Amino acid sequence: MSAPARIGPAPLETGRATPRRRHSTLLADFGPLSALVLLCIVFSVLSPQFRTWGNLRNVLDSAAVLAVIAVGLTFVLLLGAIDLSIEGVMATAAISTALLVANTRNDIDLGFLGIVAAVALGACFGLASGLLSTGLKIPSFMTTLGISAIGIGVATVLFAGVQPTVTDPVVAEWASGQWFGLTRLTFVAVAVIVIGLLIQRYTRLGRYARAIGGAEELAVLSGMPVRRYKTLAFTFAGAVYGLAGVMVTVQLGSGIVQAGVGLNFAAITAAVVGGTLLSGGRGGVLQSVVGVLIVTVLANGLVLIGVSPYVQRAVQGVIVVVAVVITAWPLRERLRVVK
Amino acid sequence: MSNTAARGRIVALAIAGIAALALSGCAGQSETPGEAPAAEGGTCAPEDIQLIGQVRNETNPYEKAWLDGGDAFAESVGLTQTRLTYDGESPKQQEQLRQALSTGNPECMVLNVLPNGDSDTTPIVKEVDNAGAYLVTHWNKPADLNPWDGHDTWISHITFDGKDAGRQIADAMFEAMGGSGGIIALQGILDTAAAKDRFIGLQDALAENPDVELLDEQAADFDRTTAFNITKTLITKHGDAIKGVWAANDDMALGALQALEAAGMDGVAVVGIDAVPEAVQAVADGTMTATVSVDGPWQGGIGLAMGYCALTGELDVAELSNEQRAFFAKQTLINADNAEENLTPTANLDDFACDNLFDRVTGPVS
Repeated sequence: MSAPARIGPAPLETGRATPRRRHSTLLADFGPLSALVLLCIVFSVLSPQFRTWGNLRNVLDSAAVLAVIAVGLTFVLLLGAIDLSIEGVMATAAISTALLVANTRNDIDLGFLGIVAAVALGACFGLASGLLSTGLKIPSFMTTLGISAIGIGVATVLFAGVQPTVTDPVVAEWASGQWFGLTRLTFVAVAVIVIGLLIQRYTRLGRYARAIGGAEELAVLSGMPVRRYKTLAFTFAGAVYGLAGVMVTVQLGSGIVQAGVGLNFAAITAAVVGGTLLSGGRGGVLQSVVGVLIVTVLANGLVLIGVSPYVQRAVQGVIVVVAVVITAWPLRERLRVVK
Repeated sequence: MSNTAARGRIVALAIAGIAALALSGCAGQSETPGEAPAAEGGTCAPEDIQLIGQVRNETNPYEKAWLDGGDAFAESVGLTQTRLTYDGESPKQQEQLRQALSTGNPECMVLNVLPNGDSDTTPIVKEVDNAGAYLVTHWNKPADLNPWDGHDTWISHITFDGKDAGRQIADAMFEAMGGSGGIIALQGILDTAAAKDRFIGLQDALAENPDVELLDEQAADFDRTTAFNITKTLITKHGDAIKGVWAANDDMALGALQALEAAGMDGVAVVGIDAVPEAVQAVADGTMTATVSVDGPWQGGIGLAMGYCALTGELDVAELSNEQRAFFAKQTLINADNAEENLTPTANLDDFACDNLFDRVTGPVS
């Protein structure tokens, strides 16, 4: 009885994509993008201010930091791992940038080198997360949570009760200045996105990350240096979080320990909304960036159309859940278990 | 009734007596065990008194200044303060206090505590009651939990009138705006009492100033980056109509300030609450209009001072009025006139003298 039944659906598994499967993949790939376009149209109709150039600049500017974080996080998520170290890494990077460029707390003035140092510090934290996860085989949520705590601790010691305010005129000028009508931080974000795309497309790190996330055992069996590339992915992510910490510091003009508060959750939400799976192996930099834009446009639009702050969060939550359901719907057959 | 009360007192005396005996046994250098038990007040040798200050974290300038104030008081009486921080995690706070109470001599201990939330105060008070240490709490407590309801060693609960603070900065802002124009309000985390009360203060002020229009109100969660982004959006929405930004704390005010600067808007009156050093500096520089100081160093010192005075017999807790045991304390508006002198918040040791302990009471917590 059961034998014919098993033969029946077999082509579905082994053959090339059937029309139905292709259709659902299409939805998964372009669903978030259509949602973004739809949101933009709705907000443009409801609020004349939404469609101004100034507001586009706002949105891109607000999205910049989150987009940079999402690029780094994407590689970790592709592996099927998770990274909860964002707040801690950003805290340390933010405080150390502020302390290394001209500031109100000390006489150090490394200028651009200070920024490089902060990014390198972020990379060190990432490397530590990676080595702990792969070397000691501890789940990444634990190691990264621990690294986050270490980051906050280091930042607290460096902070020592007095906020360092950046007095470097070059940095201040850089933050307020514009290129082609857009703030410079937007271009930094674009640059990071492009680098992320190149890594994802043309390097082993990018291709292996996806393969490891898809089926780690197979990757190990086929002789891939899984541990090395996992560690590399965490290191890259750490460096990028460090950069995000620098960006917040430049934007706010002072180094605060709270630079990354809430961004961990926001970045994971954005990546998932964009279609990067938490279970790994699927998604990518562009998907995550679309997710970031959805989240940012939503926050911006709800303020502009005058939704009461008391219901804003609930509306955001509903839309995010709906977006995730739509994105994950076509994939639900392939996800045998949800953890 | 009186029977149970009497029995309770006997039990308390017995426990205190046993504790004193046990202590003299292991510590050796303590007071003669026969002397009146500590629960009745004033029998700890000054050098045996343990001072403990507990706040959320030291990354917040206000809470850091609080602990520094505690240190300043402790030093002035030749002691050191144990600094505890619990990172805003309620279970961690309870655990730290339990540890402190069980490892020291609670009868000669003073705890100056910032409970994480209203509901955290009840278990703290219970622990401390059982141990018999002196306690002063700040900011958060359930409305129906009061020190005078049978909590002999919970000396006082100190908090500040949020409505008054919100009102004071609103008035300062309206004055700077010349009494008319549009403003935006940045609220804190909406389900906190601080955010609610401060906003009511603004609304009261608005009701009396019909020429000032509230263009928009948003929640920026007491967070600087959020305030920065929201202010930018609101600038897009309302443009030059914005003449003032009312923020429920300084972090948000500073975020808004940065957004205004980025948009090239100067001359907008920005006000906040907390008097963090950066904001006071901004007020001194003239970029911010006003902030309100609750005086962190004073809070850090006063709770320890109350307990110290009680333990050395100079303060009789039982004789305090209800108004002294749960009160709103004085808060100061900081504007261009007094910003310079408040740049580095330091404790004034005179405030901690045993007869000045209740100088800053402005009214009972209703």
